[in-house]
Amino acid sequence: MARLERVLEFISRRSIRKGWLALVILFFLSFVIIPTIFVLTYAFTNWDAINSVVLSDPVKMTMITNAIINSFEIAGLVTLIDFMAGLPMAWIMVRKKFRGKALVDTLIDMPLVVPTAALGFSAALFWGIAPGDIVNPLGLGVVSSPLLLLILLHIVFSYPYMVRSLSAILEQIDQNYETAGRTLGASPLTAARTITLPLFRAGLVTGIILCLARSLSETGGTVIALATLSGSKGFNTGPTLIDGWKAIAQTTDPNYNAALAFVSILLIIIALVLMVLIRVVVKRVHLPMGKVWPRPEKLLSRGFFPKLKDSSTMVFLAVMVLLPSFFIFTCVFVFNPTSSGNWGGFGSSIIYSFTVAGVVTLVDLALGVPLALYIARGRSKRLPEVIDTMVNIPLIVPTAALGYSLSLFWVGGNAVNSDVGMLLVILAHIAFTYPLVVRNVTGAVEEVDPAFEETARTLGAKPIQAFRRVLLPMIKSSILAGAIMAFTRSLGETGATRAVVSNANTAPNFIVTLITKAPKDFYSAALACIILIAISYVLMLGLRYFTRRGKGAN
Amino acid sequence: MPTVQLSKVSVIYGSVVAVDEVDLRIEDGEYVTILGPSGCGKTTLIRAIAGILVPTRGEVFIGEKNMKGVPIEERDIGYVFQNIALFPNMTVTNNVGYGPRVHEKSKEAQVEIAHKYLELVKLLEKMEMFPSELCGGEQQKVSLARALATGAKLLLLDEPLSALDARVRVDLRYELRRLVKRLGLTTVHVTHDQEEAMSVSDRIVVMRAGGIVETGTPAQLYTRPLDIFTANFVGETNLFEGWVTHREEGKSAIELRDGSIIDVATCECAEGDAVVVSVRPEFVFPFTEGMRTRITQTIYMGNYWRIVGMAASEDTVEFDVPVAEGNLYHEGQEVYLMVNRKAAVVYQRPREGIAEAVKLE
Repeated sequence: MARLERVLEFISRRSIRKGWLALVILFFLSFVIIPTIFVLTYAFTNWDAINSVVLSDPVKMTMITNAIINSFEIAGLVTLIDFMAGLPMAWIMVRKKFRGKALVDTLIDMPLVVPTAALGFSAALFWGIAPGDIVNPLGLGVVSSPLLLLILLHIVFSYPYMVRSLSAILEQIDQNYETAGRTLGASPLTAARTITLPLFRAGLVTGIILCLARSLSETGGTVIALATLSGSKGFNTGPTLIDGWKAIAQTTDPNYNAALAFVSILLIIIALVLMVLIRVVVKRVHLPMGKVWPRPEKLLSRGFFPKLKDSSTMVFLAVMVLLPSFFIFTCVFVFNPTSSGNWGGFGSSIIYSFTVAGVVTLVDLALGVPLALYIARGRSKRLPEVIDTMVNIPLIVPTAALGYSLSLFWVGGNAVNSDVGMLLVILAHIAFTYPLVVRNVTGAVEEVDPAFEETARTLGAKPIQAFRRVLLPMIKSSILAGAIMAFTRSLGETGATRAVVSNANTAPNFIVTLITKAPKDFYSAALACIILIAISYVLMLGLRYFTRRGKGAN
Repeated sequence: MPTVQLSKVSVIYGSVVAVDEVDLRIEDGEYVTILGPSGCGKTTLIRAIAGILVPTRGEVFIGEKNMKGVPIEERDIGYVFQNIALFPNMTVTNNVGYGPRVHEKSKEAQVEIAHKYLELVKLLEKMEMFPSELCGGEQQKVSLARALATGAKLLLLDEPLSALDARVRVDLRYELRRLVKRLGLTTVHVTHDQEEAMSVSDRIVVMRAGGIVETGTPAQLYTRPLDIFTANFVGETNLFEGWVTHREEGKSAIELRDGSIIDVATCECAEGDAVVVSVRPEFVFPFTEGMRTRITQTIYMGNYWRIVGMAASEDTVEFDVPVAEGNLYHEGQEVYLMVNRKAAVVYQRPREGIAEAVKLE
């Protein structure tokens, strides 16, 4: 006991605590923030290269312009559709009670944890007109435009983010406001529109930014969807352009590094500026919601129309989100089995992915929780706020650009052997998953009244004991949720991985290679997708189990 | 002009009966308070009147019209919430003008009506502020103005004062009654604060465990409560256990457990019945004979002393003495107590025991 006492005494010393904190912040800056945006320096150090390789090459310039316009066009439209379809869904999930709600809740989360590579293949087979050799007769096969296909695909995995952010805010808004409005004579629709909706702003910002960022980042599913659609040659988004050029830079023409850097810089800057603009605009702009139309709104509040709204919301979920994600399962029956399936290779890629995701999650936890505590409980005001803002940067930067920036920071963008490659992949995944853990835990800690820890301190507990015995049990479920989010994101990531090491042996990359590189093996790819979906699903059930239990304990 | 009539209204959540077959009639222009401890179903009842929830069984009539299937917004009511619920994104004027706004009044009319009612609650100077910039009492006044601005003649107040500071609460309750009476509204006011209920109401409805215990004017409930629960819950009281030993018009005798006798003016019970006598502390006096009592505590209350003692009959007794006489009493002292026989109320001793009969849940 005496020794434990002394250890506690030692780690509770002010200097030790300060040193540890400095270490955590140093890690955050040098392993997360700086590598993420390091590519920006390329513009200053290698402007000549950019000038000669990119700016003076009209073909490349056209490709870049088109790709970036495509990226933002897709992201914008996807976010708009997500919002319009997500708002009624948030209402249903928060305000309505019905049988099977828990199931719908789980289904909405589904696309959040499934690797987008698997979703991309599934959605493309469902919607798209595939080249002759992989037509799935059960698919709709109606979409021939790559832009439309990518919009449909990006809706699948960004829709849950919108629904989640809007529901989170709706849950915070006291339903009494609406009830008060109704006692004053407003019909349900009028009350919702004039009272609740204007209070949505914060949730709207989060939802829009998450959807935009997710769509701008997406690489794996996009590459696969384009490869599965006939006649999509030459169509690129920002991330697929990086993806394609990275492979060239690593194998045949190192000159492409300048082009890569240029695209990355453009993507990062436009994304950051856009996010700041959204924050400002959504907060400032007052929608002209003042006018009310009592009679038509009353008519729309009752009987047929609310039912129509709710059922079309459910149909949207089923047709636009769920069917495309699960469609892959039909491929087992439709495709001709190939005997040449490289299952040993897939097995080792899964092991590789799990190793990376495991290490990434552990590092995120060990260094993310302390930073979250500092942000939520830090005594000074300025620094925690600055860090809080910086934490969002890796979430907003498209992961392909992040990956390229990181490889530029650590190895100058050069090809590396497989051991260093794995280390780089781990570092890249830490960069974009670390904020997830920090965000989750910060939110949870801010919810907990500091009085609990203060009480523990008045009872004689040292800060570390107060944390372990009092705070930790209260935020455990959020830490777990953050950890599982980080794990599944790492497991599903393609863009950052391929931008660091274009032939890294991760499971999503394995699937991308099966579909995009000759000899193409669609049957094996479909099976691999199904296995990945199954694994992700088990992980998500684990997440729900832990978070549900956490809620029950409160 | 609205009356409110509840006939056999029950609200059931799963296996919990929140309101159990309540019948109640509230006359036009009457100020009725529903008083009860927390969890007695009073808020559920007022929500059923407003239409915020639909009763499981029974019917609600407002202005003699059955409210079955009539949504909240068409019941023409004003409702004030315990948590105030002012729209945080609107100014005070826009909050109060919301009712006129959804009733298709013109922009000018909205502002004009808002200002009229803000003037009524004396908050016109705060009209451009947001709710978060007001203190609790002001917020609740704005919320009242907002409820009145629809022109509704039935006002429902759901614990309107319980979120406020003690002092503000007292000021606001008189304000409330003054306004309501001036506008001639029918008012249903829900509260757990018996003092508040006494000071604002024409009539009080005492509720317990989903049902109505009794109704009456504040004076009736204080001086001659019909139920022992009311005697204990409305105001403070002493309860003595005993038997009726002698019964005659105007003067009956109750023998306590130690053999001492309390004389009471009225007694509905028969000779030999086990009874409980309820006497308010202000009607118990020290005297040269009567109940022998040992003082256990003396409490200075500012304008009087509250003396607490244990009678030889093992009933706890509380009584009040003027400030000037405070120094005559001290802990451990033995005194003799008499009660005002006209103020004593006799009840049959409840079968489940006194503690159970006056329990708040």
